[in-house]
Formats: sequence, C-alpha cells, structure tokens
Amino acid sequence: MASTRDRISNGFVSFLWALAGIAIIGLMWELTKLIGTIIDLPFNTSNQAMPHIWTMFSAFSLPEVRGSDTTVFQAVLAASTYSLTLALGGFVIGVSVGLLLAIIMQRFLFFERGLLPFVIASQTVPLIALAPLIVGIGNQISFGPIQWSTTYSVMFIAAYLAFFPLSVGALRGLQAPSSTSLELMRSYAATNNKVLWKLRFPASIPYLVPALKVSAAAAVVGTVVAEISTGVRGGIGRLMVEYARETTSQPAKVYVAVFGAILLGLVVAAAITAVDVLLTRNLPKKGLA
Amino acid sequence: MNSKLSYLWPPILIAALFLGAWQLLVVVQDLKPFLLPAPSLIASEFSNGATLMWGAAFYTGTTAFLGLLFGTIAGLFMALLAQRFITVNKLVTPLAAGLATVPIIALTPILNNMFNITSRTPRVLVTAIIVLFPIFVNVMRGLIQVNPLQVELMRSLNAAPRTTLRILRIPNAIPFFFTGLKIAAPLAVIAALVAEYFGGPQEGLGSRIASAAANTAYGRAWAYVLAAIITGLIFYLAIIAIERLVTPRSAQLHVKA
Amino acid sequence: MTTTFDTGSALAISNVSKVFNKGNENEVIALSDVNLNVHTGEFISLIGPSGCGKSTLLRVIGDLTGFDSGSVQVSGKSPEDARKERLYGIAFQQAALFDWRTVSKNIELPLELAGWDKSQREVRSAELLEMVQLSEFGNHRPWELSGGMQQRVAIARSLAVDPPLLLMDEPFGALDEMTRERMQNELLRIRLDTGKTIVFVTHSIPEAVYLSDRVVVMSPRPGRITAEINVDLGERTETTRESDHFFHCVTSVREALRLHDTSGTSTSSFRGEV
Repeated sequence: MASTRDRISNGFVSFLWALAGIAIIGLMWELTKLIGTIIDLPFNTSNQAMPHIWTMFSAFSLPEVRGSDTTVFQAVLAASTYSLTLALGGFVIGVSVGLLLAIIMQRFLFFERGLLPFVIASQTVPLIALAPLIVGIGNQISFGPIQWSTTYSVMFIAAYLAFFPLSVGALRGLQAPSSTSLELMRSYAATNNKVLWKLRFPASIPYLVPALKVSAAAAVVGTVVAEISTGVRGGIGRLMVEYARETTSQPAKVYVAVFGAILLGLVVAAAITAVDVLLTRNLPKKGLA
Repeated sequence: MNSKLSYLWPPILIAALFLGAWQLLVVVQDLKPFLLPAPSLIASEFSNGATLMWGAAFYTGTTAFLGLLFGTIAGLFMALLAQRFITVNKLVTPLAAGLATVPIIALTPILNNMFNITSRTPRVLVTAIIVLFPIFVNVMRGLIQVNPLQVELMRSLNAAPRTTLRILRIPNAIPFFFTGLKIAAPLAVIAALVAEYFGGPQEGLGSRIASAAANTAYGRAWAYVLAAIITGLIFYLAIIAIERLVTPRSAQLHVKA
Repeated sequence: MTTTFDTGSALAISNVSKVFNKGNENEVIALSDVNLNVHTGEFISLIGPSGCGKSTLLRVIGDLTGFDSGSVQVSGKSPEDARKERLYGIAFQQAALFDWRTVSKNIELPLELAGWDKSQREVRSAELLEMVQLSEFGNHRPWELSGGMQQRVAIARSLAVDPPLLLMDEPFGALDEMTRERMQNELLRIRLDTGKTIVFVTHSIPEAVYLSDRVVVMSPRPGRITAEINVDLGERTETTRESDHFFHCVTSVREALRLHDTSGTSTSSFRGEV
C-alpha cells in the first residue's frame, strides 16, 4: 500500500536528519575541546577524557587486547549481539507474561482492581534496584540437573522490566472496543474466547504497539543495566565497565563500547518500527500531521 | 461508600495474600536470607537501619532531583526551540525517537572521565540527559497538537506566533508536560541509582544495595531496595501533587483564551 | 408496499417493564408495561424523544439487556434462545465495522462465528455485497469507504446469516439527508427482496413514515408506547414523499408525539405559532 511506502520514505528522510543531528553533536564536541584549550572549562577536555572523534574511530580497529586478532569493534559487536539475544529473550518472556496478565485482568474484575494498582505503582519505582539480589537468588536455584545461570538472571530482569508497561498498555487495548462492537458480538452469541480473538486482540493493536516500544526499550536498558549490576560477562554492559577502567591507557576504547550500546538500541528501535508497520498496515492512518 | 470499598479491598487482599505467602514460604521451607529474606526480616532491617536508609535515599534522591530539574529545563528549552525553528525540530525529533531504546546510562563512564568522578556531577548529568528526552517529546507534542480551529481563530485575530505560543500552545502543552514528568521522574531515580554502579562515591542506594549484597547482608540489601521503592514513589506522588496544584489554573487560562 | 406478510407472529411482547438503578435515587423506569406484536414480514418503527426507551426495547428484543417483568417471544422463543440461534441481525447508528478486516471479511464475521466454511462464507459475502451494490469494494478497508457505504456494509453484515428478523437502531442517524433518503430506498428494496421482519428505531418522523407499515410512538418518564399508527402508503415511489397522504401520515405521527410531550406549556405555545 502506498501509505506504507510513504512511511518508509519518511523514515529515511528522518534518518538523514538524525545523521545531521549526530554530525552537529560531533562538531560541538570538537568545538568544546578547542575552547577548552583556550579558556579553562569546568570539566576535563584533555584527549584522555574527551578523545578526538577521529581517535574514537581509529579505536574501532585497535586489537581488543595486546597481540589479539580480534579488533575492539569486533569484540563490541559480539558483546552487543550477545546483549541483544538476552534482551530479546527477556522481551519475549515479558511480553508473553504481560499479555497473559492483561487478559486475566480484562476477564476478571477482581484481578483488575486487585493487580492494576500494583502494576501501575511498579512502573513508578526503581525495580532495577533488585538486580544484584536477583542474581543472588538465581545462583541458589536449580531445576533438577539444570543449574540457573546468571544469564537467566539478566533475562529475568529484562523480562520483568518489559512486562509492566506491556500489561498496562495491553489491558487498555483489550478494553478499547466500543460498547456497540461488544453488543454486536453478543448479538452473534460469540463466546468470550471468540470476542477476545476476533475483537479485543485486533482492537488492542493501536495500544499494543506503543506499549511494545516502551517494553522493548525497557528490555534493552534492563539488560545493559543488569549486566552492569550483576557483572555478567559477554554482554555490552560489562564490556563498557571494563573498557571504562582502561581509559588511562586506551581512552577511546570505551567510546566504541558506547557506540555498541547505541547500535543495540537502534537495532531494537528499527525492529520495533518494522513490527509497527506490519501490525498497523491495515489500520487507518491517524495523526499524519 | 460501598463502591469505594469495592475498589479498595481487592488490592489490599492481594497484597496481604502475597506477603503472607512469601512469609509462609520462607518459614515453612526454612529459606536462608541469602535466597529470600522474609518480609518480617526486611521490615525489621528497615526500621533498625532507618538512619542509614534515609541517608542513602537522600543522597540518591538529591542526584535524581537535580538531574530531573536540569533535564526538565533543558527539555523544555529544546521543545520551545524546536517548535519555533523547523530545522531544529527535524534535527532533534528523530534523534529523540531513536534514543528511546538506547541505554543512555551507557554515557556514565564517559561523563565520569570528563568530570570529577568523586563528585555527584557525572551522575546528575547522565540523569539530566535521560530525563531530557521524555520531557522534550511530550512537550513538543503538546505545543504542536493544538486544536486546528483554535489556530485558525488566532490567525483570524492576526496574532503573532509569540502570542499564539503564549495564549494557545503553552497552556495546551501543560497536561503533556506532566505526562512527560510522570515518565521522567521514575526514570530519574532509576538513572541516579544505576549510575552509582559505575564507581564513584559509595553513599547512595545503588552502591549500598550492591555492597550489602556482596557482604551477604541480604536482609539489609532488601531493606535498601524498599528504600529505593519508597524514594521512587515519593518522586511520583510529588509530581502528581504538583500537577493537581497547577492544572486547574491552566484550565482557567484555557477558558480565557 | 403491499401487505405481503402472513399472520405469523415474529415478535410478541407483553407487559414488559424495565427499571434502571432500581431503588437508587436516580431510578429510571425505562419501560413500563409495554405490549407490542409484530407480524412476520412487517416493518415497524419505534419513534419518540430521547429517553423514551425505544433503544432499550430494541435491546430487550435482542437480549442485549434484560427486563424485569413481562414476557418477550422472538419467533416463539425467548430472546436469549433467539440470540443464541442467531434469529436476528442487528445494525447500529455507528457502522461498527472492524478496521482491521476488509469489507468482505466484515460481512463474513457473523458467518465465521456461526461456523460456516470459508468457501460458503465467500459465496455468501459476494451475494450480499451485490445486494448492497458494493461488489467492487470487497477488498477495501472499511475506513476507505464513505459513511453511507459503511452503513450499507453494516446492513449486509446484519443479513449475513439470513435471520428472519432485523433490528436497526437509528442506522441512518449519522448520515446526511441526501444519503439518508437513498439508504431508505435501498432498505425498502432489500426488504422487498428478502421479506424480513424489521424493527427500526429512529428519531425522524418522515423516515419512520416512509419506511414502515406501522409507526409505534413512545414517550418518556416512564418509557411506554402511547400510540400506534398504521401507515398505508402502498408501494413507495419517487413521488411518495411529496404526496398529501404522506404528509397526512407525518402529521398524525407528529400529533401523537406532541400529545404526550411532557413539557406541556411549550407544546401549546408552539401549536399557536403554527
């Protein structure tokens, strides 16, 4: 459909503008460094604290450790991919549980009244503070021969951060159908399950998509933060902490890791946008302005 | 009266059942505190260490508050700029949208290098940057999504853009601003807390939770988590209170316009 | 319109009452002792000011809401059984089409729920699209259609399982006057083709008169039937709306409505101006 194509081309134009925005930030960075050499700024503008942009880019191809074959960029890419897997796992679990809870809350008034206040309150509190403790618990758990690994803890944290925004959005969506639509389904003697599949689910899409965006963001941030606070190796969160410690010898290295974290976020944003286009392609386009 | 009660008892019942089941699980299964401390243990650790909790919460809360303040000011300023200049809008809006899924907290080590890591500054800055985007996005929405009929009315009255901004767009943006604040305030607490994991002063909630967990003082670690949750709630409720205070006045402004 | 209906009873309502917020201070008697019989193939309109219970009565017939006392028989069955056996189709003021389904798929929705095969459904929806003259629009999305076209899809949907009874709640209420008159003619044509019994709720006196064999006048506080006016206009043609007999019928309905207008003083002053 033409409108889908329009959205893609609009997206491309936005992308070009975003690149221009990034270029301006880069210019400001160098300008700040320049000013720092002339007057005394209240922060450190030395090459060690604020490396030149080109130093950052050259750090991409540095060997990861002395004498190693892998470059910093390859290491960062591998770590970002690993974090992406964990975030994706957490996202899928969180979304599934969130949807299930939304369905239960929609079906039973008792659970809506009993759980919704906590779901909403939990969005306002720093549940991430639990991260170091989740690992502590996880290390003690085993299901038969399967030992809980710390990667599960990271996924678990990502999942529960993704779960809350989704369940609220999904509940709102499931409750979105007009009373007329519901009367219509009743006139067809449709069962509750049919009403759910044929009406409530499709009608919830416009509410579900923004909730998915928030959940995806929560899963990514949750993964990175969980990696940092639990010290799980292999992911971009831990790599950032490690590279940050090397700033005295290799100041530009940490920027490659930050770049990796941003890349991770952008990949997820792109994926979610694709899901958005896919899910809403048959729906009227609202708010084009 | 009756209907109010029917809204109150389910959450209370569920909370009671949840805490009861937790306590029972710990007692019956004889779980060690390192696995899962009982609610009663957490409560007693919390009240015993009240001054410690308060101190840590105050430290992290101050970071979050300063970050929220600076981030909000920057976000408002950027939104006004982007509303006025289309180029700024085109440069910033896609960046803001893309950054929604980016773990901005990753900037902390960089800021730790640029600023004095032993000070609060890098933490406040990273919090401010995280806060900036939801404020910007929501206020921008409020400035732009005005009733087209009202815009036409202002045009028919030959109002200057500045006047339209003051009389129409800013009052229209106030509810959106609070929506942004309600997203930003919990984020500020989370950012202030997580930024502590990157090193620096050890006074805050994040550092305390991590060190209590590392020292196997799990009851105390959970008590700090409780303090963090309370801090988050205070921020959120404060925003709600301010919104209640401000909104009627903005509604009056609306009527006058 | 010749009286083609037989004497079978499509709808028998006796002594039906319904109260909202019972025992509460804002108690409303929505329906008070309502009696109504509709023959198979008959077209009746329920008309009256807002709050007279006409929509509530329609919902009672469709088992979309309950009632407190009396009895309702739809084709000799209780409203609940009639609903479960899909003995009626319904259309509302909002077309209530599902945005995510194509026009054809919207019409097929009741068939899906009634367990029809895919191939049977497709044949039936093509048939219905032809009936409402939207054959080229089967693959369109409902939001790409005009309001009148959307309402035609909703009518096709209400006819999908070929139910003997059609319930219509101000289906043309949101349309402009020209589209509305066109839709009224289409509805009469469909009625002629299908022989359905139709219960039609409306605010518009000319609409009620033009469409119906019988206009049932209702009035509020409490909601009740205050008059029944037989319309004997014969077959509707282009000149029907301009005929003296049409105006005569409109006047009778208008007077029946005025007679029970509870805001009495304004009625007499209005009468004076005429």
